Amino acid sequence: MKTQKELHEILDFIAEYATYLLGSGVHTSRVIRNSQRIGASQGVDIQLSSFQKSTILTARDETSGEVVTRVVRIPALPVSFERNSDLSALSWDALDERLPLEEIRRRFGGLTAKPRIDPIFVLLTVGLANASFCRLFGGDWTAVGIVFTATLVGFAAKQRMQAHGVNHYLVFIVAAFMASLCASAALRFDCTAQTALATSPLFLVPGVPLINGVIDIVEGHILIGFSRLINALLLIVCIAVGLSATLLMVKNSLL
Amino acid sequence: METFWNTISAYNAATWPLQIALAALGALLTLLLCVRPSKAVRTGMKLYMALLNFWIAGVYYMIYCRPREYHDMLALFWAIMGCIWLYDLAAGHASLERTGRHSRFALLLFLMPAVYPLASLALGRTFPAITSPVMPCSVAVFTIGLMLAFSQRVNIVLAMFLCHWALIGLSKVYFFGIPEDYLLACSVVPALYVFFREYVRQIAAAPSKPSPRVLNALLAVLCLLVGTFFTLTLLHQFDLFAGL
Repeated sequence: MKTQKELHEILDFIAEYATYLLGSGVHTSRVIRNSQRIGASQGVDIQLSSFQKSTILTARDETSGEVVTRVVRIPALPVSFERNSDLSALSWDALDERLPLEEIRRRFGGLTAKPRIDPIFVLLTVGLANASFCRLFGGDWTAVGIVFTATLVGFAAKQRMQAHGVNHYLVFIVAAFMASLCASAALRFDCTAQTALATSPLFLVPGVPLINGVIDIVEGHILIGFSRLINALLLIVCIAVGLSATLLMVKNSLL
Repeated sequence: METFWNTISAYNAATWPLQIALAALGALLTLLLCVRPSKAVRTGMKLYMALLNFWIAGVYYMIYCRPREYHDMLALFWAIMGCIWLYDLAAGHASLERTGRHSRFALLLFLMPAVYPLASLALGRTFPAITSPVMPCSVAVFTIGLMLAFSQRVNIVLAMFLCHWALIGLSKVYFFGIPEDYLLACSVVPALYVFFREYVRQIAAAPSKPSPRVLNALLAVLCLLVGTFFTLTLLHQFDLFAGL
């Protein structure tokens, strides 16, 4: 049987764990499974209901039947598949090895403190990935080169603006505009300029919220699923606004 | 091609005294940054860089390059860079403190605006149809030199803009036959490597992923690939000349 203090401690940790996962781009049912697994390792039943910005968690002591509930804000964190995988593995370790809460907390702290991928490395690899998109969509090598550097400009601007806390939607509009403006340089040359222009803002497409939104809806978490899809849709509209600003300037060349 | 050189001729013929004044002011501010880097000088240099970028956007592209296609897009490109300098000034970034590193390479880049017209003359062109010190590529090379010599932490967005400009410049060699633009392309590759190496050095103490050594090696490979591409283009250009 847990004391009130122990129950609170367990719930506080699971709330931190679950919101970390939700903020890092994990779909809802996986967060519920992982949280319930950690709860089970501590002899506590966890029920979780999530929205776009907050989560409601309830812990029930299986022996005494005592119940504690928390409403917790979901932090905005960068997506990291590696970290999500590590944290899922932690929930299995907790259950299989019957780890005490202090040990789980220590391992959680270690995993979340691991260094993230270097921003310059991300910048270069995103540039290469977007240039590859251009090639996949039929762009020639001149267009591929221009999309590579256009992506570097757009993504570097996005990183700087995010570091300065600029509004999320504004970041997407400006980054899409800058990337497409740079890609519009392709129009001056005898190359597949349309492909370069069309593929230049692809690095901004919010793939993770789109996929998670669909998974959540399919698995019955309709509210958060739609919230995620609407959020992704707004970002896509922002990309369209940025790209349209460039297209309005070069429309005569594309007609 | 003909439009390209006609617009350059018109620009040089009409603005050469102002270009000399701007180049002299740039040289003076650079000298002052070296010997007396006060806050006023640093502010003056940032304002000068903003002015230079707006000059390229407004005077070069919007007035004299109007007959060229997409002059407005290129003007916007340079205006954005001008705005980045103003933002740097307002936010206090890129403080233009002398780093004391890469002095020789930076000096070489500072001399490039003077090398551009000489390269044009060496290629058999005559004034006013020559590349001059206050033209996009010369200003881009000068900016790279400035960032190398005076920025503890490089403005990556500005560096990426210049990298993009260098690539466009390289394409111009192919499409318009302007080998002077190799000067910018050849400057950008080592400069980018140096920028990123400095960054890697700064983060070396903190845990990072991939490790600084791997990151450095990746940057070296990437710059080597781009450098090889530039060299092949140069050789191809020589073949083109041989065929003419």
